[in-house]
Amino acid sequence: MTGLARRPVLLAVALALTLVSAVSQAAETPIVVSSKIDTEGALLGELIAATLEAEGIKVERRIGLGPTNIVRAAILAGQIDVYPEYTGNGALFFHREDGPAWKDAAKGYELVAALDKAENRLVWLKPAPADNTWVIAVRRDIGLPPQACVGDLAAYLKAGGRFRLAASAEFVESRAALPAFEAAYGFHLSGDQLLTLSGGNTAATLRAAAERISGVNAAMAYGTDGAIAALGLTALCDDKHAQVVYAPAPVVRADVLDRNPAIAPALDGLFATLTRETLQRLNARIAVDGEEARAVAADYLKHRQAVR
Amino acid sequence: MTAVGAAAPLARIVPQNQVLPALVVIGGLAGAGAGFVTVAPNRLVSGTGIALASSVPPLLTAALAVLGLLLLSLGFARAGRSRHYLAAVLAGAALAVTFGAAGRAAAMLAVGASATTAISLGGGFWVIFACAALALIDALRRAGIGAMAQLLIAVLAVAIFIAMSKSGLFDALSLAREYAGRREVFAAAVIRHAELVVAAIVPALLIGVPLGVLARRRARFEAPIFTTLNLVQTVPSIALFGLLIEPLSGLANAVPVLGRLGVGGVGPAPAIIALTLYGLLPIARNTLAGVAGVSPAALDAGRGMGMTRGQLFRQLEIPLALPVLLAGLRVVLVQTIGLTVVAALIGAGGLGTFVFDGLGQYATDLVLLGALPAIAMALAVDFLLRLATGAMPQRAP
Repeated sequence: MTGLARRPVLLAVALALTLVSAVSQAAETPIVVSSKIDTEGALLGELIAATLEAEGIKVERRIGLGPTNIVRAAILAGQIDVYPEYTGNGALFFHREDGPAWKDAAKGYELVAALDKAENRLVWLKPAPADNTWVIAVRRDIGLPPQACVGDLAAYLKAGGRFRLAASAEFVESRAALPAFEAAYGFHLSGDQLLTLSGGNTAATLRAAAERISGVNAAMAYGTDGAIAALGLTALCDDKHAQVVYAPAPVVRADVLDRNPAIAPALDGLFATLTRETLQRLNARIAVDGEEARAVAADYLKHRQAVR
Repeated sequence: MTAVGAAAPLARIVPQNQVLPALVVIGGLAGAGAGFVTVAPNRLVSGTGIALASSVPPLLTAALAVLGLLLLSLGFARAGRSRHYLAAVLAGAALAVTFGAAGRAAAMLAVGASATTAISLGGGFWVIFACAALALIDALRRAGIGAMAQLLIAVLAVAIFIAMSKSGLFDALSLAREYAGRREVFAAAVIRHAELVVAAIVPALLIGVPLGVLARRRARFEAPIFTTLNLVQTVPSIALFGLLIEPLSGLANAVPVLGRLGVGGVGPAPAIIALTLYGLLPIARNTLAGVAGVSPAALDAGRGMGMTRGQLFRQLEIPLALPVLLAGLRVVLVQTIGLTVVAALIGAGGLGTFVFDGLGQYATDLVLLGALPAIAMALAVDFLLRLATGAMPQRAP
């Protein structure tokens, strides 16, 4: 009986391995470019892959690999070689949520780069001059000036203006998010002024504000969200730096970088051009117009080439 | 006596086939009340519904109304094979007209609209579609046609749909535009999805069936086996993926040949392992139920004829348990085709890629581009397996 049970198991393992090999590409040690499973992840991943290919480096795409924890685990395990990550997530990775450095673009980058280099042999290349942090986006018809900051919102609230914010539970509860805004700008949102959603999907919060669902006229969003302008909303600036800076930067395994020194200058050049406005525009082409990330990335690099 | 007398006139008003009129009434209400298609300025905001009558040429609305009325009156006609065939033809025609109307409506609304305008299928379309499809299935079932004819009709329906798409009828619909933007990756995603399902089902069968047999032979193993399999079933897939990254990466690094074969912490390997684990419970359960359902009298007779244990197993238990085993296989295939969508979360690809891209962008039609083919695949597999089991020669137990 045990023989009967054991043989099929061995057979199954052998068969599974054969099938696994059949469905995966033959590996000739190309650089494995990966990204998270979201719009900007797809965009940045495709930009990195296309830029490396233009340098004559062979790449394998694992774009949209999974959520942050999966992609992070994959690079730590050496399963992927490079992916775009946000500097502010260093607080999460190294359990240093309280450090003041994260709210400063340069210091946050230096801190996470040093920690990851020392502990994990991961190199953070130069970040983009953009910040994909939490922002509050408001409907234009609530009457704030065009370049308004969160301070203007605080004044609007003090004057008794009608306000309801759609946001994720994490944004409302995490000390680094809404409470940090409230403390820095001196306002407080009551329970009636909040519509809390369980997920962190900004497409849902932005849509609620754009369509006045449940009286919502403001939404939690990310700085480089492509949908903000397309939905007729304005992102309020954070001139008091209440929020952690989330600048996107390529993270590369040190071994891979040593073998391919051309990676660093190529990606530094690419990321230097990715301003907040550029990322918003490119993200919008994917999320609003429905173009494919790879096509948008190729188109952007072609135009950049033409400008140079 | 009085009861029969009261029932007699009632029989004349109550339709012979209550399903058909009910479907026509539901479809008619949806056509009149709900939005047939929806129009949104871009794919992020929800669209406004536009009724059937105001979105398609009057001729198409009239055609649907006439088909509906004919089907309604057929519900009252005397039951008979020819009536069922006629109902099937009418329902099939209604289905085709509904699809055509949706394509025409989108094409007309797209004229002069901006490039980002998203025209999606509305609630009205889906209800009419469902009613027509159910009427067709109901008519075919009542007509009692054979397996070959069922297969032919299914192939014909798919061919008509493909011909309609190829002619560009649906091009203005947002769903077709999502597809057009991903034409190159779509076929690859469907194939990868199917590969993942097969790669998970085969080992699940090779492990699950012996486990089910073992549980039957050695009663003391039954509880531990099913407790374990039940436990596995409750672990969320994303958590399982997270747990598999570390050991699989370690394995690939320790045995480089495995790494070259494609085994790794991310990609197809963890997805296949997780899907295999989820498939074990239904397969083992059905195996146990199938083998346990074999009548002791049949086994006694076999022993009486001097069959060995191996002969009893191969020539009696397996053939007699086969219907239950195949039913289990159908369930597990449909379940796995659905579950494979989450494989996209560990970078294994498949149709889930579109579903999660669409969820992130709040683009419903992109979600549908991933979900509808998965549903179609599940229905097709279920249909084909049912035909295959039905077509098998039935041996008396």
